[in-house]
Amino acid sequence: MTVPLSYALGLSAALFGVGLFGLLTRQNALVLVIAVELMLNAANINFVAASYHWGGADGQLFAIAVIALAAAEVAVGVGILLQVHRTFGTVDVTVPRALRW
Amino acid sequence: MAATIFQLAPLIPVLPFVAFLVALTAGRWLPEKGAYVGILAAAGSLGLSVWTLLAVNASASSLYVANELYTWAAVEGLSLTFGVLLDPLSTFMLVLVALIATLVFVFSLGYMNHDEHHRERGGLPRYYASVALFTASMLAFVLASNLLMAFIFFELVGLCSYLLIGFWLTDRAPASAAKKAFLVTRFGDYFFLVGVVGVLATFGTAAFAEGGFPQLASDALATSSPVGPDGPLQWLPGGIDPQAWFTILGLLVLGGAIGKSAQFPLHTWLPDAMEGPTPISALIHAATMVAAGVYLLARMFGFYAELPQALAVIAFIGGFTALFAATMGVVKDDIKQVLAYSTISQYGYMMLGLGVGGYVAATFHLMTHAYFKALLFLGAGAIIVATHHQDMWALGGLREHLPVTRWTFLAGALSLAGIAPFSGFWSKEEVLFDALIVGLEHPLLLGAYAMALVAVLLTGFYTFRMYFLTFHGEPRSDAASDPDPVGWAIKLPLVVLGTLAVVAGFVNMKPVDYYVGADLLYLERWLDGVAGALSVTHYHELLSYSEAAISPLGPTLLTLGLALIGAYMAHLLYNVPDPDRYFDGTGVVDSLLKHNYYQDELQVWLATGLTGSIARVSNLFDQRAIDGLVDGTASAGLIGGDRVRNVQFGVLPGYVALLVGSVVVLILVAGLYGGWWM
Repeated sequence: MTVPLSYALGLSAALFGVGLFGLLTRQNALVLVIAVELMLNAANINFVAASYHWGGADGQLFAIAVIALAAAEVAVGVGILLQVHRTFGTVDVTVPRALRW
Repeated sequence: MAATIFQLAPLIPVLPFVAFLVALTAGRWLPEKGAYVGILAAAGSLGLSVWTLLAVNASASSLYVANELYTWAAVEGLSLTFGVLLDPLSTFMLVLVALIATLVFVFSLGYMNHDEHHRERGGLPRYYASVALFTASMLAFVLASNLLMAFIFFELVGLCSYLLIGFWLTDRAPASAAKKAFLVTRFGDYFFLVGVVGVLATFGTAAFAEGGFPQLASDALATSSPVGPDGPLQWLPGGIDPQAWFTILGLLVLGGAIGKSAQFPLHTWLPDAMEGPTPISALIHAATMVAAGVYLLARMFGFYAELPQALAVIAFIGGFTALFAATMGVVKDDIKQVLAYSTISQYGYMMLGLGVGGYVAATFHLMTHAYFKALLFLGAGAIIVATHHQDMWALGGLREHLPVTRWTFLAGALSLAGIAPFSGFWSKEEVLFDALIVGLEHPLLLGAYAMALVAVLLTGFYTFRMYFLTFHGEPRSDAASDPDPVGWAIKLPLVVLGTLAVVAGFVNMKPVDYYVGADLLYLERWLDGVAGALSVTHYHELLSYSEAAISPLGPTLLTLGLALIGAYMAHLLYNVPDPDRYFDGTGVVDSLLKHNYYQDELQVWLATGLTGSIARVSNLFDQRAIDGLVDGTASAGLIGGDRVRNVQFGVLPGYVALLVGSVVVLILVAGLYGGWWM
């Protein structure tokens, strides 16, 4: 049997919502990275579901690309995070305030 | 034979130009610092000019036009060219200019090189180079076959006068006088330039002869549809009446002539120009700079002849200037200042002559004036060399010490005062007679005649006041009681010019001709000899003046009598051993005249008071309104940016919130306008 498309989209939306909520509410930079990962994977579910629904392979290709991109993003993000921790002694994103005019 | 010399005519200005280059580059190593180069070049030009004159006389049409010797720029329907125009008027003027220039070069040898005082001041190569360039520009101006070329050399003449008036450039007064001469004449030339452009646009050509613009103007006035493919004109602004438009063009060109010929109100530069070396004053006043204005009007007289309003303006400016300058000449103490005002006054007579249609009379006076005024200036130069004074109250009693100077100066003075039979008498008489016969038919012009007539009395007075103060009475300074002798280089030009000042008038003795009927009007016949549109006969056909038929005896005796009365008054007052300064006690008259009617002050006020105020207001407008607008745009960006940058507050979660909020708003807006929920 096939999972209906709406189920997959609902799961994707829920996952995206969780990620967005984490992004907006948490202050720990590591958690923010995880939240971003959640949102990216919500998009991946969308891609795969839609691809399956329409019977094409391009959505799945995009999903693989997004996974690669997410890996790169995490590498860069954690690198920045390490620098932030080395400079400020914390990974609380509300502490660095120099990103302004 | 004749054709050859006509083709050689461009050499006439080229010779002095070569002398200019030689004197400028190698002058300091040459004997007498380049004087001989200048003398040779000017004499060469004189020889060629005389040859040209004879060739013009011998040729059948007395006319040679080569308007396109060199094409500067050519576009559709318009070409700007350089060329030569040889006719009786231009060749006659060439000889005059070259002769005076040669004599001035010779005199300069005595004045600049042989005089310790002037020699020590140095700069002689520069002097001779400038004089040579001056001569070259004037000769090229005289040869010019079209108005544009005339304008270019007219300007070059102005530049040379600047260089020479300011020759002693380390002194304050000459530097300032040179600047003034340049600016004041430039002011007139500005109108001239506009006029040249107007002429080129209207006629498509600026040539003087052979299908030139005077002829086209004549055609345009004769036809009912002047503009168009078949009409003579290329352009006429806004359907204006051709007559009115030509008058405007004529008055614009007249602006240049007024500036150069030092006519009211642009005459103020000329008395200041006395700061230059005295031979230069002779050159400027007699043959080059100042003569250029009158020559220009005579050159294009065919254009003016059909414009009675323009002619009336010329006549009035001339008559008024003649009187106005004469009144100022009466009180001057500096011998060169008296001569300067006499020049302005005499050029006023020439303008009057042109204005009443007396083309021959004006040209005649231009010639006789060139001789006697060059003579008087060189005489003044001789006095300066001998005594190193030019204030007449420091001179006196020079007649015994400087006989050559004295007798030649007397000849010049008699000529300037207009006393028979010296040359100035004949020409001035002819100008005044022409003004009178036209004035009797056109009463308005009688006013110009009356002013010029009064000026005759004043001319007689100031001329002899100058003569008696300088040569008669007791010496009033040590230098005047024991003057240095002057050399041959000074005496030779004086004698040549003195002779000419006596005899030059005999070429056109109109009153004698009237009674004797022996056909004595050589000059008139010479100028009339040219075929076609440049002849005196043709000009007379164009003129709309009617002339009263009266005998010249009465008017002649009247002017002669006035001149004699003036001279006699000067004799009574100043031909005494120790004359008084009569004008010192006359209060307001004295101060008014000594300050030249406060015209300099007026001009300074026009420049600083009036123009300054207007400039301040427009500056304010510029600063506040224009700059305010520009600055306002910048400030708006600056202040707006200052506000908007607060969005970048630097807290990461806040940025995320802004981002998310913006996307939500975007989706809502897109949804509302895209009709997702409708």
